[in-house]
Amino acid sequence: MIERTVQVGSPGGLHARPAALFVAAAAAAPVEVTIRTADKPAVPARSMLAVLALGARRGTEVTIAADGPEAEAVVDDLAALVAGDLEAETTDA
Amino acid sequence: MADPAVLRRHAIRLHETAPDRDSAIRICGEVLADVGAVSPAYTAAMLERERSISTYVGEGVAIPHGTLASKEDVHGDAIAVVRFPDGVDWDGQPVRVCVPIAARGDGHVALLSALAAILLDPEAARALRDAEDPDDVIRLLEPVGKETTT
Repeated sequence: MIERTVQVGSPGGLHARPAALFVAAAAAAPVEVTIRTADKPAVPARSMLAVLALGARRGTEVTIAADGPEAEAVVDDLAALVAGDLEAETTDA
Repeated sequence: MADPAVLRRHAIRLHETAPDRDSAIRICGEVLADVGAVSPAYTAAMLERERSISTYVGEGVAIPHGTLASKEDVHGDAIAVVRFPDGVDWDGQPVRVCVPIAARGDGHVALLSALAAILLDPEAARALRDAEDPDDVIRLLEPVGKETTT
């Protein structure tokens, strides 16, 4: 199991738009990925509802985990995505 | 933030019809404006956000909301429940219920988290899709309001 723990970087937390971008990236990954917070158990990273239910705000530590041959690259990419500012990628907002 | 309830009775519309997604979002904006949660300008921000990325979350539910730039159009944290019994085509997904959200700061994170936790229960999600009585909706979504009184 490969794991990375990072702090949520988006100002609004891991809510609608950042969550949707994260979920889309996780769903496109070749391995099953989970995400959890310190006080909530791991949930499938490809489930929008499950990710939203985590209620992760900016600065909340989340742990992303996956198994398998490509897990390391997938987990690194997704961790970087969560740690970055997903709001900043909005083109016209 | 404990005063007026996040979901007010007159923000629950259970028998709406809309020919398409954008029309549904305009109705959502009107309902939020009617309860005093947003300025009419908020609707444009909701449409813009939706074109940027879908707010469909699963279980036949979409959660339209504005962009960060539209926060000045929000007067208070509120959600509405707008049900479309005939469904609305949401970029290929069938939406039966919209839960438009107006929130300042990061208040929407708690709102969304509580709402998502409810919808993760398939029975609760079905009850929301089939709701005919505003009292049922209020009972179902009661935890959403409680989450914001932090």
